[in-house]
Amino acid sequence: MTRVTIAAGLIFAMATCPFAQERTVTVRITAERFRFTPDEIKIHRGETVEFVLESDDTDHGFRIVGTDVDRVIPKRGRGSITVKFTPDKAGRYAFECSKLCGAGHDFMHGVLVVED
Amino acid sequence: MLRQSLRGIFRPLTALAALFLISLSAGSEAQTAGSPERPSSSPLSSLSGYMDLQFVDPSNADAVIDFRRFVLLFAHRFSDRIRFISELEVEHAIVEGGEEKGELELEQAYLDFLIDRRFNIRAGQLLVPVGIINERHEPPTFYGVQRPFVDTFIIPTTWFDAGAGVFGEFGRGWRYRAYAMAPLNATEFSAGEGLADSAQQGSRAVVRHWAGTGRLEYLGVPRLTLGTSIWRGRTTSGSPTLDPRVTLVEADGRGRVGRLELRGEIAHVFVDQADELNRLRALREGVDPNIASQMLGAYLEVAHPILPFPPPREVVGFVRYEKFDTQFRMPTGYQPIGAFNGTAWIMGVSYFPDPDVVVKVDYTIGGNQSLVVAAPRVFSVGLGWWF
Repeated sequence: MTRVTIAAGLIFAMATCPFAQERTVTVRITAERFRFTPDEIKIHRGETVEFVLESDDTDHGFRIVGTDVDRVIPKRGRGSITVKFTPDKAGRYAFECSKLCGAGHDFMHGVLVVED
Repeated sequence: MLRQSLRGIFRPLTALAALFLISLSAGSEAQTAGSPERPSSSPLSSLSGYMDLQFVDPSNADAVIDFRRFVLLFAHRFSDRIRFISELEVEHAIVEGGEEKGELELEQAYLDFLIDRRFNIRAGQLLVPVGIINERHEPPTFYGVQRPFVDTFIIPTTWFDAGAGVFGEFGRGWRYRAYAMAPLNATEFSAGEGLADSAQQGSRAVVRHWAGTGRLEYLGVPRLTLGTSIWRGRTTSGSPTLDPRVTLVEADGRGRVGRLELRGEIAHVFVDQADELNRLRALREGVDPNIASQMLGAYLEVAHPILPFPPPREVVGFVRYEKFDTQFRMPTGYQPIGAFNGTAWIMGVSYFPDPDVVVKVDYTIGGNQSLVVAAPRVFSVGLGWWF
């Protein structure tokens, strides 16, 4: 009986512990020549952001500078991609189009702001 | 005089050098809080391009089929802070020397020094940041086989030249760029085609004075882009005493409501000392070029999908109305020519078998104020693609 009570207590504690639950924030981003919408996203440290990305025209890239995140966003009508990213510290994480998409390619930027 | 010229040239260069030094020391706000040196899976160099084949059949001349543009874009990322982008274009399929038989143009070739989202530096061969089309001219991105008349005669697209400047974003959807660039060549202004062909295109450009240009954009509302641009600077005319100042101010907007697309643009050009320029060129060329002191153009375009194809295929119908006058205001003593005060209704269809491939068909009904020369009606078919 004691063992059962301890086990139940442990399960309850794990289920309710704030560190056991990783909060995920889903953000839908549309890419088009030459912008991301939205292009500024704020989350809190410890949260995971789930980007759902689709294009309104051609193929674009989604690269979070300084990380390993770098994916191709398929062109319009070809569906979306999902990218999960958990920043390990607070700060500003720039993201950009990493696939040459036209004369204004270098204007395609955005920023993920991670607050404490 | 020499001292003044040198001062005029070195002042912007000094400012840019100072900005560059500031950028080197202020590069700490980084593009990211992570390590900027971590590898990326995207290649350091990349290649893209677009092509534009046109069949144009005007009512007052023979039909022409023309491989109008073959364009390759090369880009290279030296690091997360230094980028290179270029755009090399062959016009009219062959190059024999002279625009009539084709051109090989270096439309863009610049380095970006990325410092902060709010402040970055760009230098090289640059697109002038004026209007909708000049920086956004891939065939699938606009309706109609030919670019708008306003973006041909009032804003001389593709307008590019050598220069340097800054760009960035203020946040809340505000974006800017501001460059110092080589000036226009006033000896190439014309009565009928306005500023077209007057850019020096970074080819041994004469820089007795620098021109300044800038654009402010608002992208804070999804599916809406509002912009305003300016170009201002003394031109070069080959005369030691006459360098007329040109000012171009522009405003534009693009937006979507549901599947309805709207875009509009207005551009106004002011040419100072146009009367003196006319007299100078009449002496040199034997004919008075009849350059206006003001030019004005505007257009409004509506587009909507018209056939229910499953994505990614799409058929879009559009109508555009344009008004453009390269002799909107004349210098004292000069009379405007009605043929240069034009209007156009352009209506057509764009079929996208793929978002990057477009087949365009349109019909243009031209109009003007002339009692002698009628504006043509033009049937056009185009094929454009991007990769």
